[in-house]
Amino acid sequence: MGRGSEMVGDEIVLRVENIHKRYKDQEVLKGVTFEVRRGETKVIAGPSGAGKSTLLRCINLLTKPDKGRVWLEGVELTDPETNINKMRQKIGFVFQEFNLFHHLTALENVMIGLTKVKKLPKDVARKKAEEALLTVHITEDLWHKYPAQLSGGQKQRVAIARALAMDPVIILYDEPTSALDPQLVGEVLRVMEELARKGVTGLVVTHEIGFALEVADEILFMYGGRILERGPPREVVFSPKHEVTRKFFENITKLYGGK
Amino acid sequence: MGFWEEFIPLVLHGAVNTLWVLVISIPASVALAIALGSARVYGNAPIKAIATAFVVTFRGFPLVVTLFLLFFGLADLGIYLTPYQTATLAFVLCGGSYMSEYVRGAIRSIDIGQSLAARALGMTKFQELIYIILPQAIRRALPGLSNEIIYQIKYSSLAFVVGYEEIFAVSKTFISRYFMPLQVFMVDAALYLAMTTAAAYGLRALEYKLRIPGLEMSIR
Amino acid sequence: MDPVWWEYIPYILQGAIWTFTLVGGGLALGFAIGVPVAMGQKYGPTWLKAVLDAYVWFFRGTPLVVLLFLFYWGVFPVLLGIKLDALTTSIIVLGLRSGAYQSQIFRGALNSVDEGQMLAARALGMTKWQAITNIILPQALRIAIPGWTNEYAIILKDSAICFTLGVIEILTRTRYVVISTGEALGPFLFAGILYIIFTYGGTKVFNIIYEKYHIPGLVGKGV
Repeated sequence: MGRGSEMVGDEIVLRVENIHKRYKDQEVLKGVTFEVRRGETKVIAGPSGAGKSTLLRCINLLTKPDKGRVWLEGVELTDPETNINKMRQKIGFVFQEFNLFHHLTALENVMIGLTKVKKLPKDVARKKAEEALLTVHITEDLWHKYPAQLSGGQKQRVAIARALAMDPVIILYDEPTSALDPQLVGEVLRVMEELARKGVTGLVVTHEIGFALEVADEILFMYGGRILERGPPREVVFSPKHEVTRKFFENITKLYGGK
Repeated sequence: MGFWEEFIPLVLHGAVNTLWVLVISIPASVALAIALGSARVYGNAPIKAIATAFVVTFRGFPLVVTLFLLFFGLADLGIYLTPYQTATLAFVLCGGSYMSEYVRGAIRSIDIGQSLAARALGMTKFQELIYIILPQAIRRALPGLSNEIIYQIKYSSLAFVVGYEEIFAVSKTFISRYFMPLQVFMVDAALYLAMTTAAAYGLRALEYKLRIPGLEMSIR
Repeated sequence: MDPVWWEYIPYILQGAIWTFTLVGGGLALGFAIGVPVAMGQKYGPTWLKAVLDAYVWFFRGTPLVVLLFLFYWGVFPVLLGIKLDALTTSIIVLGLRSGAYQSQIFRGALNSVDEGQMLAARALGMTKWQAITNIILPQALRIAIPGWTNEYAIILKDSAICFTLGVIEILTRTRYVVISTGEALGPFLFAGILYIIFTYGGTKVFNIIYEKYHIPGLVGKGV
């Protein structure tokens, strides 16, 4: 059982229904359906090319799905009538490559969404941003550094703070540790785990099996554009129903030295 | 005779004169650029200083000023150049100086390992430059050189200031006979656009032809 | 006896006012044109891109002196029926041409802002316009500064070509001095050195601007 589970209620905050996406002649997503409850941490795993990142981007419509529907707290995002920019404020997104704004300091990176998108007054935004930075253990000495002056782990934590400060309903993490040097992975995973324990809802694409086993309430195993298998982490990792799932976790355990 | 019957042969004659300067000045500019660029990286202190002063001067002077200096200024010293000689020399001095910056940048971008390996083989500094460094550097400098060649084609229109009968010069005189400036200068523009566009395609084809896998071509 | 040329140095120096009017006007107009053109080329619809590409191609591919004469004698009086003086025409032509070049500088800068910046801005809920003004432009404008420094040096030297229309800038005045004193070497050398000084002085100013707005790690690739 995941550690976040005691906080999980019955309320479904994200519903993804029958998402399809095709790039030219390749069908990347072939009908994906699942839901996330408030307080839950869900991990999406699977080999590269399975469509995991595309799926995440289809959720906040950074990529437009060809077919299928997405709801956040009962509002349909895929409805053309919906103001997507308003809804994106409620969906935190953490990129593999951090994508911190190069011309802004750590603090300004966290503030800009609050001032420009949420239109909060500067002092309120600043306070919220500082709180968010402290939550991800970015201390005051780093607040006025530019992204290029931060380590990879620090950058990713600032990026998490940027998402967190918006008070999102859910945070989507797109392989948040894949671009990091191995010795920096731990600090980012620790922050993500702490957030999960505090009840921040998360949907995480990752290869970090240790994190999935420790923190996730459920693993969705994707293969060939579909969810091939899903269930409690230990079940999916240690006694999967499918041969491909078993092979995948066996290889990943070897590669990443999972516990 | 009508306007077009008179103007077209005249302007084509001007175009031939323009090309006649460029076929000499472009290759000579490139040669000068390679010499200056190499001297500024590989030369000893006095050579470096001279080459640098040369480049600073002829990059700093507007081309028209260089043209006037060579034509009227040198005449003060008893040196009389024809308009053709003046134009060709001015383009080489100016173009060579601009282009040398790309050559210099390209030479400096070649990693030190190339130089070490050449010397380990027993090459002299000069051999290293000729056989190892320049063949790579010139390829890298090519996009920049191409730009400068295209500039030179356009700026060749300034040769009229010393009385050289190129495209613009004949057009300028022609409108005093037929005042049809719109037509005349649009024809000029079309001729220059044809030359610059053709040169751009030709040079890009050359860059492609000289491409070596793994040797990044574009440095700026 | 003819007067000696150096007595005319103050007269030549006064031409700097006109030279810098040409340079300042041309750069400013070029900026006002170049930035929207670059944005249109990157973010605009296909038909707009085609129009803007044609504009850039024409003004980059045609010599300045041809453009000056085309506009001064042709486009303004004949085509548009307006009589503009040499200075105004020169500034407009320098500006139109510089706009074509500046759009290329700025387009390169826009392109060197990586895709992730736009994605991250949109993910925060910014509209495309908010993302461009808050995230992309502030970065691209900084990245473009070295390119603009270069453009200043180019337009400064090109302003000399405006002597052909009789704008009383440095070179026109230098030529008057040559004609009235019969000496050419001294005056033309003096003018040349003046341009070198103005090039380096102006470049210094741009470098100060660059340092002031420089952000660690924010450099364009291949601009």
